[in-house]
Amino acid sequence: MNRFRVAVAVGGADSVLVGDDERRVLGRSRAFVQDAARRSLWRRRLAGRAGRLACALALVVGLAPLVAELAYTTARGVRGISFGFFVHAPTPPGIPGGGISTAIVGTAQIIGLALAVAVPVGLCAALFLYERPGRLATGLRFSADVLAGVPSIVIGIFAYALVVRGLHHFSDLAASFAIAVLMVPIMIRANEEAMRTVPVDLWEAGVALGARRSRVARSVVVRSAVPGLVSGNLLAVARGVGETAPLLFTVAAPTAAMTLLIFSEGTEALPAAQETAWATAFVLLAFVFALSVTSRVVAWGLTRRAR
Amino acid sequence: MSDQLSGALRAPDPALGARQALVRRRRGSGGRVYAAARWMAAGLFAALLVSLVVVMANDASQAFGRSGIGFIWSGTWNPAANEYGAGILVVGTIVTTAVAMLLVIPVGLGAAAFLAEFAPRWLAGAFSAAVDLLAAIPSIVVGLWGLIVLSPLFAGDVEPFLGAVPVVEWFFHGPAYGPSVLLASVVLAVMTLPTMVALSRTALRGVPLADREAALALGATRWQVVRKVVIPGARSGVAAAITLAIGRALGESIAVAMVIGNNPSIPHSLLAPGATLGSAIINQFAEASPGLGASSIVALAVVLLALTVAVNLGGQALLRANATRRALRGVESK
Amino acid sequence: MSRRVGIPLGMTFVCLLTVACSTAGAAVAGRAQSGLAASARPAPGGVLSTETDVTTTKAVTLNGAGANSIEPFFQRVFYDYNKLDPLTTVTYSPAGSSVGITDIEQNTVNFGDSEVPMAATDLALETAGPILQIPVDLGGVAISYNIPGIGKQRLKLDGPTLAGIFDGTITNWDDAAIAQASGITDLPDLRIVPVHRADSSGPGYDLDQYLIDTAPAWVSAIGTSTPSKTWPLAKVGVGEQLNTGVATYISQTRGAIGYIEYAYAYESHFTNVALKNADGAFVVPTERSIALAGANATALTPFDFNVVNEPGTGTYPLANFSWTLAYRQQPNLAEGIALGKLLYWVVTKGQRAAAALGYAPLPANVQRLSILDIERLENSAGKKIFAS
Repeated sequence: MNRFRVAVAVGGADSVLVGDDERRVLGRSRAFVQDAARRSLWRRRLAGRAGRLACALALVVGLAPLVAELAYTTARGVRGISFGFFVHAPTPPGIPGGGISTAIVGTAQIIGLALAVAVPVGLCAALFLYERPGRLATGLRFSADVLAGVPSIVIGIFAYALVVRGLHHFSDLAASFAIAVLMVPIMIRANEEAMRTVPVDLWEAGVALGARRSRVARSVVVRSAVPGLVSGNLLAVARGVGETAPLLFTVAAPTAAMTLLIFSEGTEALPAAQETAWATAFVLLAFVFALSVTSRVVAWGLTRRAR
Repeated sequence: MSDQLSGALRAPDPALGARQALVRRRRGSGGRVYAAARWMAAGLFAALLVSLVVVMANDASQAFGRSGIGFIWSGTWNPAANEYGAGILVVGTIVTTAVAMLLVIPVGLGAAAFLAEFAPRWLAGAFSAAVDLLAAIPSIVVGLWGLIVLSPLFAGDVEPFLGAVPVVEWFFHGPAYGPSVLLASVVLAVMTLPTMVALSRTALRGVPLADREAALALGATRWQVVRKVVIPGARSGVAAAITLAIGRALGESIAVAMVIGNNPSIPHSLLAPGATLGSAIINQFAEASPGLGASSIVALAVVLLALTVAVNLGGQALLRANATRRALRGVESK
Repeated sequence: MSRRVGIPLGMTFVCLLTVACSTAGAAVAGRAQSGLAASARPAPGGVLSTETDVTTTKAVTLNGAGANSIEPFFQRVFYDYNKLDPLTTVTYSPAGSSVGITDIEQNTVNFGDSEVPMAATDLALETAGPILQIPVDLGGVAISYNIPGIGKQRLKLDGPTLAGIFDGTITNWDDAAIAQASGITDLPDLRIVPVHRADSSGPGYDLDQYLIDTAPAWVSAIGTSTPSKTWPLAKVGVGEQLNTGVATYISQTRGAIGYIEYAYAYESHFTNVALKNADGAFVVPTERSIALAGANATALTPFDFNVVNEPGTGTYPLANFSWTLAYRQQPNLAEGIALGKLLYWVVTKGQRAAAALGYAPLPANVQRLSILDIERLENSAGKKIFAS
């Protein structure tokens, strides 16, 4: 293929070589084009350096606020951390010695219950998608993608409408329901991706040997996909722990969960309440980060070992 | 499994034994339980989806029944006067998301271009990991930071400054209270950026190597390759990234609720407080009177759901179109 | 091999372990133990009347919801009461007066609390019999401001000037009207940021009442002379959620002025306006000045409860009572007993905590009224629980 025609097809214009000058390349001699390219090189290099700088700047400017936020939260939150902070229950303002134990316990309960429901459902639904391709599976996968994109506030209102109105009072159960609904689509997607990395021949070999489907699933698919499964599920947990909106509509007391505590204490002007809020935010952040980092390490480490 | 196999071996006709074992297993409880579990999980998920739509539509029916479909664009949101209309909130949502996207798209694209094209491998890997971690920061923490740190900063310095800049001051006139549409947009932008960077980076890396090499062979500089080949070539992927980022920004409510000032009226300036669908739901939920009030809150959630789902479906369609196009182009350039 | 198989199993195990441990931890940490059932405990501070068997034998959790303004007081007294009677745990959700009213109407909480007594329309929605309205607290509404640079001078305002600030006619602190009313001439050239409650509130209701009573310009600006729980001029200035939102905003924004429950202003050490009262004196909110306002409430009923703009030279013009709402008929006897004893303690011994928190103790006549109301609690058979 003629070099110039490739340039037109790729660049979309016939001025790729000579920067932004509207110099037409087609029909000119090769010498002319090469000369023009050589002469414009310094301009193009300068533009290139400026462009690269701009992009690097964009990266820095884009990530700087979040990094600043992390730094501020750590600096302000660490001050409030002590052993008593984790162990004692909250006390009214003016009485020292309070902590956030009820919030930590509450978050653990809510997330724990949500996980107990979401992990099996996510795993079995992903296995369904993996083993039974077809229109039903495509529809399910599509629904999982759609549900994964639904905002957590809508899911919180859904949990309110279904569970809180149904039971006539706020409860941790409603909160767990909301968090589970939030986590399941993410888990289904991540689990299915992880399973897809297992070569299908392995699965077929297992079935061909006469093993039961469940046995094949357990010993072949899940076992090989464990890095992806674990990392995907940990990421879903990290997401669930950090959610506030679903809890606002399903739980009554602000001390029932860490995120709610941050919301209620953070909006108070009282310095003691502010310090509690920042310390709790720091704890939450540390926990979410630990989960995310663990998830990546697990995926990376176990994949390496598998190889 | 081994005993069944040895049982088959001991039998005079191995095939018969295996067949019998297979039949027994098919009828056995293990396979059936597993199949049932899979079906139940899938069924549960489908039921969840259906109930989401049904329950919320049912609860919102009172509000919609009163104003009809006009609820979505009718003007006032005034619970005290029993007037519930989502129009202003939809406008607020669109304005905050649009301003946030104005900030996110160039910065996100530039950052993604840097990570995909210009950074050395180790740096790109490290930064990508950092971006993923930053995307995991809970929104309540960012909202708190926006309220306590950014809001006074904006009220004291940034907003008066913007009000004095000659050309753009029309957007930034009026008193600078701190919590405002501008602050909410900035917080939204800060939160949506990691998503945009990650998705755009994937899109940019998806441009076939052959195209880049062709341009380089023709003497283009690396910057020209990015500008003329990579970015246009990744157009649909980047469009998908933008659409998905918009979808995320639409749904972000708790951080916005903390910094937007909660004033459901048409903002005459970016410095004025406003309200979005999400912030109204959060701030008005506890107060809503049972009956029409609560139903209107659920109706707002329904509107938000419809908006987000529409945007996400668009983004997914774009993603799929991009994948198809890439596959086709791959065939052509061979 | 075992490690890879174990990981998904391990994850599920960890989840269940977390749930189990946290439930156990919660049971040990703060909740009461039913092992104490054998020892009957009398009500802290004495029983309501002489011959009753109203000792608590079961662990009871009472849930309440309602006004944000009383939250510092409730938080403290419920904590103290739990120390005295560990069998009774009280949770309170300070989401706002209207939430308290709605929740008690729907009978989803044991008690509600409101700064404004229930209107006849609200009472008509009660679902489980008549609702008792028991005054438990006397608080004030502080007008707090954030003006840097005026040193020790106290801002003095009267009704018309305050109305001008809140309806947007006075926009800058160095306006002549403010200088004239307050006597401070070196106020800075700083824009006024009026802050109001975006949700419905008792303090807003009281301030609205005060401005209606003292400023004709306000009445024409809002178009009515009936005070309302929702702030009538929401378009002017900034709206924030709950006392905490307003307080945070005022503390962060120079030039801001807003109304909050005095307890919040007290604990945040805000500077408050000296308001002109009915006798023409400029009074700042203190426990003393609020108590004087309450002392004027000689014939307090849920239908005649107004203590705004009361006469007296030391009276603070913006005071109000907080009303606890509970159903007269308590179908769950254990909860009814616990509720009665709790409320009795709150209106008697519990008032000791009020002054330290920025409230005034209930006047004696109001306290008698509350006790009479508490004694009207009945069980499901219609018999009074605390019968004498």
